[in-house]
Amino acid sequence: MATEITQPVAENGGHAREALFVRVVRRLADSRELTLFVLVVALALAMSVLYPNNFPTASNMRAVLLNLAPVGILVCGMMLLMIGGTFDLSIGSILAFSGVWAAVVSGWWGWPPEIGILVGILVGALCGLVNGLIVTRIGINALIATLGTLTIYRSLTYVTAGTGVTPIGDAFAAYGRAADPILRIQSPFWAMLVLVLVGSWLVARTRFFRQFYFIGGNPRAAQLSGIRVDRLVLIGFVIMGSLAGLAGVLGAARLNSAVVNAGVGIELKVITATVLGGASLKGGEGTILGGILGVLFIALIENAMIINAVGVFWQGLVVGLVLLFAVSLDRFKTTGRA
Amino acid sequence: MAPRIDVSNVSKSFPGVKALDNVSMVVDPGEIRALLGENGAGKSTLGKILAGVYSRDQGKVAIDGTEIGNLDEKAAGQLGIGIVHQEGSLIPHLSVAENIFAGRQPTRWPGRIDVRAMRARAGEYITQLGVAIDPALKVSALSPAQAQIVEIAKALSRELRVLILDEPTAALTLTETEKLFEVVRRLAANGVSIIYVSHRLAEIFALCDSVTVLKDGRLAGTRRVAETSTDDLIRLMVGRDVHLARAPSAGRIGDIVLEAEDVSAPPLVRSASVTVRAGEIVCLAGLIGSGRSEFCEAIFGARRKRGGTVRIGGRALHPTGPWDGKAAGIGMVPEDRKVSGLFLGMNIVNNVAATVLGKVSSGVEFSNAKAEALAKGFVNELRIATPSVHQIVGNLSGGNQQKVLLAKWLAMEPRLLIVDEPTRGVDVGARSEIYRLLRALADRGVALLVVSSDLPEVLALADRIVVMAEGRTVGELPGEGASEEQVLRLATQYTASVADVRSEPTMAGE
Repeated sequence: MATEITQPVAENGGHAREALFVRVVRRLADSRELTLFVLVVALALAMSVLYPNNFPTASNMRAVLLNLAPVGILVCGMMLLMIGGTFDLSIGSILAFSGVWAAVVSGWWGWPPEIGILVGILVGALCGLVNGLIVTRIGINALIATLGTLTIYRSLTYVTAGTGVTPIGDAFAAYGRAADPILRIQSPFWAMLVLVLVGSWLVARTRFFRQFYFIGGNPRAAQLSGIRVDRLVLIGFVIMGSLAGLAGVLGAARLNSAVVNAGVGIELKVITATVLGGASLKGGEGTILGGILGVLFIALIENAMIINAVGVFWQGLVVGLVLLFAVSLDRFKTTGRA
Repeated sequence: MAPRIDVSNVSKSFPGVKALDNVSMVVDPGEIRALLGENGAGKSTLGKILAGVYSRDQGKVAIDGTEIGNLDEKAAGQLGIGIVHQEGSLIPHLSVAENIFAGRQPTRWPGRIDVRAMRARAGEYITQLGVAIDPALKVSALSPAQAQIVEIAKALSRELRVLILDEPTAALTLTETEKLFEVVRRLAANGVSIIYVSHRLAEIFALCDSVTVLKDGRLAGTRRVAETSTDDLIRLMVGRDVHLARAPSAGRIGDIVLEAEDVSAPPLVRSASVTVRAGEIVCLAGLIGSGRSEFCEAIFGARRKRGGTVRIGGRALHPTGPWDGKAAGIGMVPEDRKVSGLFLGMNIVNNVAATVLGKVSSGVEFSNAKAEALAKGFVNELRIATPSVHQIVGNLSGGNQQKVLLAKWLAMEPRLLIVDEPTRGVDVGARSEIYRLLRALADRGVALLVVSSDLPEVLALADRIVVMAEGRTVGELPGEGASEEQVLRLATQYTASVADVRSEPTMAGE
């Protein structure tokens, strides 16, 4: 009755004589975080050696870290949703809609910037709630539901503010431009860092968020185990919306301008980073740490492309190839599904 | 005359395991040969090698004296070798007829599928099996039993020389099983050789001419069914004596735990009542489609109940979802462990922890140490055969998966444990262990409500037997001294045709 006998397809055991290369590949494949970490370090080292004057400079690093902030914030929510077996395509539109509302409240109506920020985040949360209700109550699948709201929220953004709100106001802008005195990196990065640290702990360690892994692993078994699947998925969408709202508000503040086209296409970038970071479309897998390493890796590749002047046209090719490579590594996993 | 099938010295290895080791077998035309063995003994592997699903590493296979090379499934089909797989190979969104004729639908010029002819012919095959299923229905609308019948019809629809049936009755009721046997006997009488893979001994005695027993991939022996006994076969299979006899109950029956009265959850549950006391095992018997599982789901909260009352320990329960049943102290081990029971891609630790996230946490933090300790305890207590608690559950054998599923619900220390088909797809050795476990639970004062379609199992387990038919509880028998005939008579006094009742697996809750 030994395990191996009944599941002959399982790839465990019997690879003692494998070549070193295969063993290395296997070890890397077992932990996506490790794979990405090695890739990020290797890429950073290579760039430092090849372009010592351009890459490892304080200003370049600051630019890279600041630019990855919005995607980094969004990846926390997207990772949570994908662990639970779903996702949200409308985040780019939520981002713009929230930014515009924060700007309208704070810039046009002249309310205090704190109220504007709060309104922006609430608008994001509300959009997420609508997404979640459509998915869990009406039962439309997440792809269709959020594809629909993607265009709806973008349209509402145009309706609200036409060509956008510029400038919003110095007090409001200060929230997106404040930098720490030592590293002199602006607030969006720090907001992202805090969210990633807190989010990593929450998702990896708390029993509340552990439930998302069960939902993604087998929603029906989760439901029958007494986990409130629909309620949790709804909460996941609200968190996603709030994070998109925050990213939108911070983006608007940093530019002192709420742009109606903000965040167009960002959802695909976020999903790319999330999948690269170890999430699966089937759900049940992934960590926030993996997600943020995915973001970091993509940011470094983009930066490398700009520095060595290969040009932005090639970025997509490289990111796409890396994504396919990382996912195909899964085939080497030692603990495969039966 | 050359034998129909001549297998000599066949071996087959999978990475890390020798699934078949030097196995030989000779089967005559028209013979019904059982392949018997515990899970993992290699019986399905042998069947799949014959049908061209797997290729063999060593050895020869000859059909009617002609040696055949390594075939694929299609070439085997052309040679007249058909197989009905253990696990569904049907496409849920296509119709019954499309599934039966997958890839070889009758066509009209210029290639248009002749739907009418296809449905008519599919209907004929199904009628041969003695049941009525509309060939135009989608497979997703069928019950597991009906789907199995379609699988068999699919294999029947070829010019057959050899038919391999891999656990065909796992989801069938007794009546359906009888009908299947009739068809198998008719085929054998026409000269088709049948390879019947099963671990149900009773079926082998009822159906087969001879039996080949495998143990750990090796041939343990071949017997004429007329010249052997249950004990003999079990000894060959497991190398030790196993008894399916009634486990003696400690006999301390306590207070009423579950009192369900006149529960209705249309369309499948109309009016069902049951009482279960602490320390008691009550079995719900009945045909498939009689509403047993659905009744249990209504008690647990996994299905909305429309009427009636459910009381747990005297307190009325109005569940809005499974979480309310769980909070009231009910555990439910569902029927289909792969679809609705386990998290197959996750390890044992997480599977066991799923129902008791609060218990394995310190404050808000999930504690891996606590969850591991809990899982290790169950691995030892239930004798789950696994290299470690971090093993992915999908890689375990059926019996061990079932034990993990039980552990998941034992972890929450239920007052009432509902177990739906406790030993489906579980081999004989693990089966008696599960019976022992359930009895030990009852002796500890847990109330058990067990749904089972396996009558010997019902008779071996139950303190009381409650019989359901057509969504109603129609009678009750004491477990001690009841006979299969009595149960069946109650279950069939309302003529229930499986084809009439369509199971709709919907879940209640938010």
